[in-house]
Amino acid sequence: METALTKVKSEEYGGELIQLVSFNLEKEEYGINVLMVREIIRMLNITRVPNTPHYVEGVINLRGKVIPIINLRKKFDLMDSDYDKRTRIMVMEVVGELMGFIVDEVSEVIRISEKEIQPPPPVVSSGIEQECMAGVINQAERLLVLLDLEKMFSADERRLFSNVA
Amino acid sequence: MAIDCEDQELLDGFLAETTELLEKLDDDLISLEKSPEDADLMNRIFRSIHTVKGASSFLGFDMLVKVTHKTEDVLNRLRKLELTLTPEIMDVILEAVDLVKTLVADIKGGDIIERDLEGTIGKLIPFLSENAVEATVLAPVFAPKEEKAAAPAETPAPAAEPEPTAAAQAAQPAPQEPKAEAKAEPAASQQVAPAPQPKPQPVKEPQKAPAKGGGDDLADNSTVRVDVKRLDDLMNQVGELVLERNRMIQLHSDYQTGLNPAEFGDDFGKLSKRLNFVTSELQMQVLKMRMLPVEKVFKKFPRIVRNLARDLGKEVDLVIYGEETELDRSVVDEIGDPLIHLIRNALDHGLETPEQRLAAGKERNGTVVLSAAHEGNQIVISIKDNGRGIDPDKIAKKALDKGLVTDEQVAAMGTREILDLIFLPGFSTKEQTTDLSGRGVGMDVVRTNIRKLNGIIEIKNEVGHGSEFILKLPLTLAIIQSLLVEVEKEVYSIPLASVIETMRVSKKEFHMIGGQEVLKLRDSVLPLLRLQQTFGCNEVYTDRDTCYVVIVGVAEKRIGLIVTRLLGQQEVAIKSLGKFLSNLPGIGGSTIMGDGRVALIVDPIGLVGGAA
Repeated sequence: METALTKVKSEEYGGELIQLVSFNLEKEEYGINVLMVREIIRMLNITRVPNTPHYVEGVINLRGKVIPIINLRKKFDLMDSDYDKRTRIMVMEVVGELMGFIVDEVSEVIRISEKEIQPPPPVVSSGIEQECMAGVINQAERLLVLLDLEKMFSADERRLFSNVA
Repeated sequence: MAIDCEDQELLDGFLAETTELLEKLDDDLISLEKSPEDADLMNRIFRSIHTVKGASSFLGFDMLVKVTHKTEDVLNRLRKLELTLTPEIMDVILEAVDLVKTLVADIKGGDIIERDLEGTIGKLIPFLSENAVEATVLAPVFAPKEEKAAAPAETPAPAAEPEPTAAAQAAQPAPQEPKAEAKAEPAASQQVAPAPQPKPQPVKEPQKAPAKGGGDDLADNSTVRVDVKRLDDLMNQVGELVLERNRMIQLHSDYQTGLNPAEFGDDFGKLSKRLNFVTSELQMQVLKMRMLPVEKVFKKFPRIVRNLARDLGKEVDLVIYGEETELDRSVVDEIGDPLIHLIRNALDHGLETPEQRLAAGKERNGTVVLSAAHEGNQIVISIKDNGRGIDPDKIAKKALDKGLVTDEQVAAMGTREILDLIFLPGFSTKEQTTDLSGRGVGMDVVRTNIRKLNGIIEIKNEVGHGSEFILKLPLTLAIIQSLLVEVEKEVYSIPLASVIETMRVSKKEFHMIGGQEVLKLRDSVLPLLRLQQTFGCNEVYTDRDTCYVVIVGVAEKRIGLIVTRLLGQQEVAIKSLGKFLSNLPGIGGSTIMGDGRVALIVDPIGLVGGAA
């Protein structure tokens, strides 16, 4: 995944296909490199963890491993909504740690050519922090925001994570 | 300088064996001082040091050979009764053993550092000087063996380990190989002995050995030696487990095909009982493999006590009980330092000098009793001395002088609280800082380490008759007994090791003192902490007027946690929360409940620290 993202940055390096998992949040479509995703599971019982940032929903038991769960809606300051039967937890490996992300719906795995990835527009209307956008994919009918979760958990963020209390 | 040893396996074997021998050696030497006539003991010591020498010369560790060789010579004279063992000789021998340890540690670390050997060797030499001829009579007996061992290493030596040889050649006008000297020495140790002297060795922290000696022995924790029998037992248990699994699969398929639906419940009940039995057995076995006898820590204390007693001019008998008590490796690693501090305190502050003791009508020798025992799911380690005890008034006065507490605070304290003052960082009763004590660090270390282990410290004190420090530690850190509590519909688990008692209290009994909710409990005042507030849980039950208080103790502190209700006791396996959530105050980890949900484990240390 590291390689895929670096390639994204060097534009002239086109032609290679990468696979993305696309998912929805508040009717917008996002994509994430398939190599980062470990598994996609349905909602489970989440145990709240006190004194954490608001977007940390809690922890779950993933077959004997306890992993933190992040609500991407809350993280991106989108409107909170109830979980339904389409709600999924995407378990990903971010900076060496497993983490779950709650999304509205996971739709499909798409293949795109790296050439199709455009740099993110300078201003984004939704609350997504600019830095965790790796790019935008503009296909005929759809617009996909490519996320870089490693950036989302920059050093700063991680410190905040543990000292927020 | 890295060690260029071709046969890594050989080197590993050497290190393992040498470390073991050296550990034993310390012990034996102290015993020898007590009973110098014990020939068996003497021979054992001699053999140990000889083995170390032989092995190191085979592998070409010249510095080791030199030190062990001289030590061996002195021991040999002792063995042949040409010398009588005095504390001074023992001091030097122990110093030499320390030096050997340092050298071995260097080799283990992968770097051979040039160390000052001459200081120690120089101290050994005087004991060889009288009747040197007689001393060498026995030498040929072991010399040939020595030569044989050294021979294979001889030829490749210059290529294999260039650093000591090169250093020697550069420094010495006569390019004589250290190894050659080592061999020549048994024949005429006295004459050759001065030869290494001109070698200008860079003096790098020559006195490092004693300081390091303490914690080093346990550092080697990457491999475990397990009794074959235990391994067999384990295999047996796993076999049982596989059997039970097969039964379970069978049961399930029977159920699905509709055979005997009536008996399913019954069979399933039996199966889960057996499964429960097998897994708990298995758990015990695995835990046992992680266990080490506390002897691992205790065995260095005779040595420490001896040295300290000599330095302090006190006469001390150290009595050790229960060194076979086993506890988890992780715990063993952590208790070494606190125990050293406590023992040091007992000797330095607790015990009086022989004159003072006689004047007080006690026997001349002070006694320190170090004991370990299992007590339920805890291990209890106690350090007890029959010295002068701790004088609370003196403690209070000192703490006031140092500005650690205020007059009002002292006035409000009971004896217990005053004694607890000794754990404050910066507290010391010593007027002058010595190299032994007086910086006010020791007890703080004790407290920090014991807290880390979720342990409890108790002090029993009788002015004039001595004091006793009792450490209560959990047996293991991986699986703990815990008390499950409910806080406004959320389940939390509190390590049972820190729970002292639980009680049901009416909310009317809470009082406020200076913004802090407290509970009067018998003769003490207990600060309270509402877990609901600390953990920011939504309040669900507003109409209740009673609740439960779980009194937890961390090191010497006590605090009451207010919870909604108690759910029961359970053995839980601790799971880490991962690095993102590792520093949460008051949360020590998590565990998975029977229903697959995650319950958080309360960290009493964090809570007590936050409330105090």
